[in-house]
Amino acid sequence: MSKPALLLIDDEERILRSLRMLFFVGYDVRMTTDPHEAIRVLRDEKIHVVVSDQRMPVMQGSELLRIARETSPATMRILLTGYSDLDASIASVNEGEVFRYLMKPWNADEVKKVVAEAAAIAEASFAVQSHADAAVDAASTKPRVLIMDHDESTAKTVHETLGDRCEIVWASDAQHAMEELAKQDISVVVSDLMLGETNVGYILKTIKQLNPQTQCIVVTSFNDTSRLIELINQAQITRFLPKPVSKGILARNLESMLERFHMLRNQPVLQKRQAVAPISDPQEKIQAGNFMGMLGRLRARIGA
Amino acid sequence: MSQENHPGGDVFSLINRIDAISPDCPLEDVAELFSNPGYSKLLSLPVVEDGRPIGMISRYSFMDIYLKRYARELHGKRPIRNFINSTPLLVELEQPLAEAAQHVAANMRFPLTEDFIVIRRGKYLGVGFVMDLLKAMEQQMRAGTEELEQAYSQLKSSQLALVQSEKMASLGQMVAGVAHEINTPLGYVQNNVTIGQELFLQIQTMIAGYEALVDNLLNEQANEEQISAQMQQIAEMRNDVNAQEMLGEMQGLMADSLYGIAQISELVRNLKNFSRMDAAATDAVNLNDCIESALNIGRNVLKNKVEVIKELGALPKITCAPSQLNQVFLNLFTNAAHAMQEQGQLHVKTWSDDGAVHISVADNGKGIPEENLTRIFDPFFTTKPVGEGTGLGLAITHQIIQQHGGEIHVESRVGEGTRFHIKLPVASATARQSAALEAAA
Repeated sequence: MSKPALLLIDDEERILRSLRMLFFVGYDVRMTTDPHEAIRVLRDEKIHVVVSDQRMPVMQGSELLRIARETSPATMRILLTGYSDLDASIASVNEGEVFRYLMKPWNADEVKKVVAEAAAIAEASFAVQSHADAAVDAASTKPRVLIMDHDESTAKTVHETLGDRCEIVWASDAQHAMEELAKQDISVVVSDLMLGETNVGYILKTIKQLNPQTQCIVVTSFNDTSRLIELINQAQITRFLPKPVSKGILARNLESMLERFHMLRNQPVLQKRQAVAPISDPQEKIQAGNFMGMLGRLRARIGA
Repeated sequence: MSQENHPGGDVFSLINRIDAISPDCPLEDVAELFSNPGYSKLLSLPVVEDGRPIGMISRYSFMDIYLKRYARELHGKRPIRNFINSTPLLVELEQPLAEAAQHVAANMRFPLTEDFIVIRRGKYLGVGFVMDLLKAMEQQMRAGTEELEQAYSQLKSSQLALVQSEKMASLGQMVAGVAHEINTPLGYVQNNVTIGQELFLQIQTMIAGYEALVDNLLNEQANEEQISAQMQQIAEMRNDVNAQEMLGEMQGLMADSLYGIAQISELVRNLKNFSRMDAAATDAVNLNDCIESALNIGRNVLKNKVEVIKELGALPKITCAPSQLNQVFLNLFTNAAHAMQEQGQLHVKTWSDDGAVHISVADNGKGIPEENLTRIFDPFFTTKPVGEGTGLGLAITHQIIQQHGGEIHVESRVGEGTRFHIKLPVASATARQSAALEAAA
């Protein structure tokens, strides 16, 4: 088997040289300071993993990764940035749909591990002929949508958008949400980050560990960048919509996430593309552990 | 302001419980009462019927009648009812002091001949002295002034706190910006060192292998098998790691690391220059240096977006609070960057003429609408969304320039850009100003 191809983009050449050396063994490393050149490479060559800087003079990394998503969908996208600003991290979720959001200075071992994981997933993705053949078999089982938000307008928009096509459950507290999640698999979760006093990040992270095909849309006015980065890496949330969110935007994203869910259900190989990193926060680890325990007990009782 | 909190603060405290006289009281008895030492302080006697005050008889008008020839004989037995002022000054017990004073002042007659009557729902309670009322008012006003002074000093300190918080906010932003900028060189330096460490271990193992081989080759007792095994091992290692190539690469990475460390040092030095942590609060400086320092610190906001055109003329040193002026310049530069939707130009120009230093900061951003232009130096005025600006940046800028005895002016055209012009006197350091600068710094 040939070496996986790795494409590095950063406006600082020294970053590129340094990373190339890190991946000297085991990878076919391509690198450039020019995002346009990167787009050309992505179009013409088979690239397994692209690692991009965010802040560059010509183009933002999130924008480059959005183009990469269209040009070479099988390529895994990683952002490596020294700036943790909210706009960049939101764009990296919604537009770049990044596999990981990594910070400079980075831990060499961690970056190596992440790139290796991404390369393996990309190889499997390339093997799947096409993504587009997601024949919608929605008729077989109704998709389930779980709303975890106090905000009535969120629930209203979900109902108005999906109507009878989906089974919609509205949980107004963490306990209720966890019970619903334990009862049955959920297709799309629409969640605020704070449910009353509870930060429900750990629920989203646990769900994604159990059900990679579940798509998470976060709608929130909570804007802590480091939390968001955690949610990208550990919950692979696919949309982050700051509140107040317009009806049209939420509706459009609901539709596309529902579509994504169907596609992933039909192509289990691609589920790996949303594999999550382990939970890092010690408090959340405990919460997630308890949730898992509860889930196990409930599912055993229901006999699912 | 509540009444109870003030000394002598209400009508109740003004009441003198004077036994009122009946309207049927004969004039000669009233004469007795007026000469009674118990009533000596009274200007007038209240006349009450069925508990309700119906009038007042003043010493003044009483004398007017009673001292006339034969008045005693003519009127001595007649009831006082016929001689009273039937519209006395009435003050309701529940009335606030200020209102009572207002009422009394508006209705009292000159010369002052009568006291006022305090009533409660129409019933007589006692007599009040106008002088007491005035004294109580004065006291209340003094207390009010104190309260005002207190409120003023509270306001002043909260304003100071706000200024401080704005300072902290801009400092925080600046530190965050620089910290982020450090992340890039830190990223590759750390990575290079990690790689170097690993390579170092590999090379060490290799050298150990070579040395063992050489030792064996020199050792006459060594057997062929051992030597060939060692050679095999070395060949494998060479296959895995191209030491020469790696070392060559590593040399480049070392040079990069040194460059990165120099960059980090420069960033730290910029921070230090900007904050002037280890310099005197007031100092004679060249403002061009302050501008360079602010541009360095603002680089992370400006770069990739703003083309900076500098036209820095020769300037005399001026005595000022450099850290404050640094803050002023950084504020103007970052504002300019925020005013640009896409790419833009920032034109910074300095020059000096007789006795003054001029700084012009012009951008080609979106400009400020006329209705906002007069308000931009007002505290709390901001067009940024809640949470993004305190609305204090330019207010503080204005304050700092004023404290330096200078002026700041703005002109702007929507769609064309904004230009700030600062003028600072060269010889500004009068004793008072430098004291103010010390205090503010």
